[in-house]
Amino acid sequence: MREALYGFRNILSKEFLHILRDPTTLVFALLIPMLQLILFGYAIDFDVRHVRTVVVDMDKTRESRDYIAGLKNTQYLDVVDYLPSADLAEQALKRNDAYVAVIIPPDFARRYGTPRPPTVHVLLDGSNSQVADSARNALQRPPDLSTPSAVDVRLNVLFNPEIRTQVFTIPGLVCVLMQLVTVSLTSFSLVRERELGTLEQLMVSPVGRLGLMLGKIVPYSLLAMLELVAVFFLGRLIFDVQIVGSFLLLLVLAVPFVLAALSMGLFISTVAQNQAQAMQMTMLTTMPAILLSGYIAPRETLPGPLYLLSDVFPVTHFIQISRAVAVRGAGFIDVLPSVGALILLTVVLIWAATTRFQKSVG
Amino acid sequence: MNAIEMDGLTKRFGNFTAVDALSLTVPRGTIFGFLGPNGSGKTTCIRMLCGLLQPTAGTARVNGHDIVRDAEAVKRSIGYMNQAFSLYRDLTVDENLSFFGGVYGLRGEHLQRRKETVIALVGLQDYLHRRSGLLSGGWKQRLALAAALIHEPDLVFLDEPTAGIDPVARRELWDLLFDLAGTGKTLFVTTHYMDEAERCNEIAYIYLSRLMVKGTPNELKALPEVSPVGTRRVAVSTTSPPGALVLLKRQPFALDATLVEAEIHLLMPEATEEDVILAALKQGGITDATIRPIEPSLEDVFVTLTRRLSRQ
Repeated sequence: MREALYGFRNILSKEFLHILRDPTTLVFALLIPMLQLILFGYAIDFDVRHVRTVVVDMDKTRESRDYIAGLKNTQYLDVVDYLPSADLAEQALKRNDAYVAVIIPPDFARRYGTPRPPTVHVLLDGSNSQVADSARNALQRPPDLSTPSAVDVRLNVLFNPEIRTQVFTIPGLVCVLMQLVTVSLTSFSLVRERELGTLEQLMVSPVGRLGLMLGKIVPYSLLAMLELVAVFFLGRLIFDVQIVGSFLLLLVLAVPFVLAALSMGLFISTVAQNQAQAMQMTMLTTMPAILLSGYIAPRETLPGPLYLLSDVFPVTHFIQISRAVAVRGAGFIDVLPSVGALILLTVVLIWAATTRFQKSVG
Repeated sequence: MNAIEMDGLTKRFGNFTAVDALSLTVPRGTIFGFLGPNGSGKTTCIRMLCGLLQPTAGTARVNGHDIVRDAEAVKRSIGYMNQAFSLYRDLTVDENLSFFGGVYGLRGEHLQRRKETVIALVGLQDYLHRRSGLLSGGWKQRLALAAALIHEPDLVFLDEPTAGIDPVARRELWDLLFDLAGTGKTLFVTTHYMDEAERCNEIAYIYLSRLMVKGTPNELKALPEVSPVGTRRVAVSTTSPPGALVLLKRQPFALDATLVEAEIHLLMPEATEEDVILAALKQGGITDATIRPIEPSLEDVFVTLTRRLSRQ
């Protein structure tokens, strides 16, 4: 037993020295659970409130306004806009400007409280099953509680009529997984060359920094695109999740996403000093990808700073695109803001990586 | 035109001065030895000359190009070989050469010709399709040299090119370097091996970030600090050199004593008789000593100079 334990104390004190000598790794290791606590705590809020709602009030009476005020009072619905027609309301849902559209008929006041109550049509975005559930709760629990039958609410679920969870999760999951794989593909690339010494050999050559960055990104983006097709195909094969919109459009729009995610990996690669750090930093981007991106709970439930933080991650924007095209059948114009965000992210991240790289050589 | 001209070249990292006002010229077509203990600033200096680091102060011209303003022109005109093998281990010899040739803008026929030339030069013909990570240390360094030469640079920086390879491979690599110098290339070499330093046309010795001396090996050996007037050097050989060294160091006539390759190099006043030395050794029980006069070796030069400076 003595022999088996021989050297225990020496190893122990040596390990403590290692830990103290590499404070970056230590800080990361200790910081990650704290960040996780905050992210999980805030981000996973299944009690979805303040669902973005548009209203088409064709009656414009005191009664209709009271009814709308009552809906707001539930706190489940936030009226973000008033629109003149049901068509425009449907458009708004497709563009993800709102999840719910409440359409009040012209005879609302006249029939309110009568034996033939007015029919309020409600359009629900079924592409986000939690939001749809929440909105349903709010609407079917009548706001004023006075006469349950005062209004006849007809729910009409758009885009995912059966509110199948997988129709909601798979197009999001694909994005999350794609970000994880793409970020890790490039996050090691420069660090590895630095560790092997090949980076120095490159830097004494005329290779330009941008040439180096783009040369590293392009092959991986081809791989990532192939992977994306494969994953969507599997989602269809196994979970029967159809792509309602144009698959080609989705692939074209995946290009800026893949580029942004690879650039993010490259940026990590310029910050990390070694491969272990690159791995930690990559892991650090995976949590927000899952928790803040809107994959699990809608981003609306996030507190302000976290909401802003979620904009930094390419997956946040691509989930919007993916759900819009795959579930709601949206077109290019409908997702333009998300595409713009991805292109902006790509440019900023490549610029940041290139600039940081200059400073970190030598 | 000189291959390298440094004028007050300085690099500071925070409070630490890694290279302190270095002024040095390296003529074309020479093998220039850049020597100094670890941490004396050799690698930092080379990195500045290669355009990897910006100098804090001072200037330098490499092949006539200013290292700050024309860093790209500098990069095109130099070759660089690092002490650690820094080519792609998962690529073959041929793929590595194609890659680095391509990076310097060589294409098609021209690239092919250059590859054949450097492969023939270093003798890598039989290993073309072997992954470079699987080559032995000596062959790796040959490949690294080939890659550094692929674009026909006039000047090649070799940062400890022979560190960690066996003596035979070391000798062979140096034969290659002589061939290269014969074709008019300038080689800027750092090394810790004194036998390699002896082979350089000219040597600069860096100590504590500063240039200490510069000259041909013979000039350095004749320096008054190394061989003061009225002194001479002898080599003392015995079967127990360490014991003899301890004894000799205690003697009043020993101005300096160092162990070099199992002999004691002793600096003493010219008038000191060899019998005095033998007597001193005999008193300590060493009876088999023989003494012969020697010229200082480069090691004597650097050890003496370094000691003088660290005493100051």
